[in-house]
Amino acid sequence: METIELSIPPRSVYVGVVRLAVSSLARTAGMGEEAVDDLKIAVSEACTNAVESNSEAGSEDPIVVSWTADDDRVLISIGDRRRSVEALGESVDTQGFSTRLTMSLALLESLADAFKLTPRQGGGLCTSLVFQLTPSS
Amino acid sequence: MELGLDVRTVGTHSVVDVKGEIDVYTAPKLREKLIELVSQGSYDVVVNLEGVDFLDSTGLGVLVGALKRVKAHDGSLSLVCTQDKILKIFKITGLTKVFPIHASVEEAAGGAT
Repeated sequence: METIELSIPPRSVYVGVVRLAVSSLARTAGMGEEAVDDLKIAVSEACTNAVESNSEAGSEDPIVVSWTADDDRVLISIGDRRRSVEALGESVDTQGFSTRLTMSLALLESLADAFKLTPRQGGGLCTSLVFQLTPSS
Repeated sequence: MELGLDVRTVGTHSVVDVKGEIDVYTAPKLREKLIELVSQGSYDVVVNLEGVDFLDSTGLGVLVGALKRVKAHDGSLSLVCTQDKILKIFKITGLTKVFPIHASVEEAAGGAT
């Protein structure tokens, strides 16, 4: 198993760069196009949340994206400097629409085969995503 | 990464043809265009997503924001989208119950709200 790590400044312009990188890695791992699309959206969501978290926390620390693949799954983790899980805020706005973050978490839950948020050493959260590699993908 | 936005009029509707990827970096451009349309008095808007290669929650958030703005003027905002990978995002987040989604601009601008 090899791990590839990508560290980006916490700026929105670089989220697309991460998508390009993970798309390429996913295709190399043998994932089909629909699975690649799902993975791209999930990673983009996690990176967007990380960029916003770092901004809210006033942190210029880079966002670290790590990719590890073995024969049957891919593990991607995205580390940010979010202050706390409680900082996730309200789930709906005053007119009853889901907030962007609520929609993002729904997408992460639905698109990844496994998704969790864990505290990160040094402060912040780590978003971990697992995608299974199936024989048909 | 550029986001292409073209605006045209079809009947009584302003149609925004979007091309490219809508994400945290490009979504503000779409937001500004939709705000501009409403400020100019265009309250019946169609957003054509057929040329969109990528859409995530920031794009959804912009569309929801635009919907609220037109609704404040008793207007409408509908979408054109036939791509399964984009429709999937609306389904997962429940927004297929919020936005009318059509198969063509002609259908969207045909008066359905």
